[in-house]
Amino acid sequence: MKFKILKALDVAGLQVFDPVVRLICGENPPEQFRKILLFIGIPIITFLIFIGIWTYLAPRHTTKAGEVPTPGVVKNAADGIWVFHVRENQKAEDFLLEGPAREKALAGVQARIAELTPLASAARTKLGELETASKSQIDQQVGPLQEKYNALRKQTRADEKAREEALIAQADSLPIGDAKARDAFLAKVSEHEVKSGTEKQALKDFKSTIDAAYADKFPEMESVRIQYNAYEEELQYLSKRLDYLTEGNQSVKISEGQSELVDLQSAFLTAEGGKATLKAAEKVLKQEESIARIAESSYSRPWTFPRQIVRSVACVFVGFFIGSAIAIPLGVLCGISRVFMAALTPLIALFKPVSPIVWLPIVFIIVGGFISDPETAFVHPAFLSSAITVALCSLWPTLVNTALGVASVEKDHINVARVLRLGFFSRLFKIVLPSALPLIFAGLRISLGVGWMVLIAAELLCSSEGIGKFVWDMFNNGSSQTFAQMFVVVFVVGVIGLLLDRIMIVLQRSVSFDGAPTAI
Amino acid sequence: MSFLEMENVSVGFGLEGFRTEVLRDASLSVEENEFIAVIGFSGSGKSTLVSMLTGLLRPDKGVIKLKGKEITRPGPHLGIVFQNYSLLPWLSVYGNIELAAKKVFPEYSKAQRKEHIERYIEMVSLTPARDKKPGELSGGMRQRVSLARTLCMQPEVLIMDEPLSALDALTRANLQDELVRIWEEDKRTVVMITNDVDEAVLLADRIVPLTMGPAATLAESFPVTLPRPRDRTSLNTNPEFKKLRNEIIHFMTAMNKEAKMLRVDRGLSMPDVKPFDFTAA
Repeated sequence: MKFKILKALDVAGLQVFDPVVRLICGENPPEQFRKILLFIGIPIITFLIFIGIWTYLAPRHTTKAGEVPTPGVVKNAADGIWVFHVRENQKAEDFLLEGPAREKALAGVQARIAELTPLASAARTKLGELETASKSQIDQQVGPLQEKYNALRKQTRADEKAREEALIAQADSLPIGDAKARDAFLAKVSEHEVKSGTEKQALKDFKSTIDAAYADKFPEMESVRIQYNAYEEELQYLSKRLDYLTEGNQSVKISEGQSELVDLQSAFLTAEGGKATLKAAEKVLKQEESIARIAESSYSRPWTFPRQIVRSVACVFVGFFIGSAIAIPLGVLCGISRVFMAALTPLIALFKPVSPIVWLPIVFIIVGGFISDPETAFVHPAFLSSAITVALCSLWPTLVNTALGVASVEKDHINVARVLRLGFFSRLFKIVLPSALPLIFAGLRISLGVGWMVLIAAELLCSSEGIGKFVWDMFNNGSSQTFAQMFVVVFVVGVIGLLLDRIMIVLQRSVSFDGAPTAI
Repeated sequence: MSFLEMENVSVGFGLEGFRTEVLRDASLSVEENEFIAVIGFSGSGKSTLVSMLTGLLRPDKGVIKLKGKEITRPGPHLGIVFQNYSLLPWLSVYGNIELAAKKVFPEYSKAQRKEHIERYIEMVSLTPARDKKPGELSGGMRQRVSLARTLCMQPEVLIMDEPLSALDALTRANLQDELVRIWEEDKRTVVMITNDVDEAVLLADRIVPLTMGPAATLAESFPVTLPRPRDRTSLNTNPEFKKLRNEIIHFMTAMNKEAKMLRVDRGLSMPDVKPFDFTAA
């Protein structure tokens, strides 16, 4: 059992946890503790140091979108993303509820609203009180300052005017053509300007102290405000839910429509006169149509971040499979035939270093040429272009590794094939490919990593729903909250990239026959 | 005409001007069901000889014939046991042998094939390791798998390229006995390349020395008249064995000296310089 777990950890590339398993089994505890400290303790400490530096540095830089978020703020942003996702799912579910389930959910929502409303209004009153209190406090503080400032400004303006008038008077008596006197006058004017400048600066500085007093934060008030906002947000969400459980609900809408239909039908049955009967018949048909439409409709859920993650992962795999489907056969041909290798080398060398940013617009236009109407297409062109860009950028490592693997099949194995007089295909499938498989998978692993990095940029550029688009939307939003959400993306992308890599390691290990250790 | 015939074969590598001749005018004839041991120093062209006998390499001059027909390409009738086993590491013992059996006897039914393969696994005493991968086997076991793979093709000639040279002495002795047993059980023509005189004397009907390379050739052969079965324990005290072994060793070492004498000294001639003793002056 113990060795099975250890073996599984080894295959998954999680040798880090090896000492933990051994410790649980009671194998040489001091040694295992030492290893745990080294391989688990130190990384954790490093991470904590990183968090510490981040916490210290972040608030010290202010941007257009507020301060750089600290780890705590980022954590809150992550929670916010999740809450939004859960709530949207709840609304979608509410829309489709019917019968007793709907009534039960409705009762729950109403109870919560009843519970929250007094809390929210209490918070609002408290907030109002605090606001007035703080305002009067600020006014008290700022009042004398403001008076001083006003006086100073008046004084400065008067001084400036007086100096100007004196200069005009002087200029009046200035002899024409006397260069010396005019130079002296010029110096005086310059002196005057400098003086005005310094006075203005002094005024500005004074003003900024007043502004700082206004910006003074009252921690108590801030926390109440946050609490109040949270209540209000939830109330708003609940009122939406209420709507989707009552008037906006699908089954409610349908039953309403049907009762209307019954009325229309009876009106049609009793209608008299050609024109009126025709009208009534048309109304019945129209009503039937609208009921059918409601029955087909569903809640239009927005693209929440978790859904975008799923879409991105799907996109990277589509691109990765397209890329592999091109790279592996080409690589095999290159490895088998020197002619093919010679023919493809310039193309590989030329296209390999091209950046995804260049591929994407080209691919986007080409794909757009095939798909005329994005809304009705089987796949969205933006999705397809991102996937193809991923394929174009990620196929090279697989191509090169496959060619290398196929070309470097051991000569003895080829001799075996010759002695057995194997045909081309059995030589390929029984000797060459199995022998090249570990290298091919090493290439695939690199490809998937490259693809994942490329994908985010591709989605961002062609605004295909996914992580990249999320980042772009958050960037354009430009609030401090969306700034923090971009930091959340960094961690999500990193973790998913890590997981993809682990999956590839497991696959690579499972096909490698020589038991060669794969790099962590 | 003999079963396997090699007439004045020459072969070399490299482009004109930089050519190294490996074999020159080598001739050999092997009778049916004869066990021949070719013995030579390392680097004397033994592996090249094997490549030509199995058709993996075509001679530049001369012909090699099996039953009067020229060998032009490798095939299952020219069974080869490689020096480094050449097993496919991703296949099990059974899988490795199956690959050969499937190709050589495509007409066999599934059950027939299974029986055939298992018979050869049994022959090399590997039944317990039937489903193991080569990576899990010892060197001796791997060589047995390689032997079973070649034998299961039922080749007309079995050509072995230093099959036991990578093994330790004990495993080697063990496998030598096994080889004799298998050969007795499943008589066929065998050409074995080796660098071990004792091994050659123990196993072969005839021993053919390969002269020193480059441009090596096959010298006059030594027939081994010791009666079979030969017992390795008593062999050491057998006067005939000792005599034959000494003869061969003398022949080989003399050849080595001769080759050294023949070698052209291409080294730079050094001036005769002696240190000057300043203290004496």
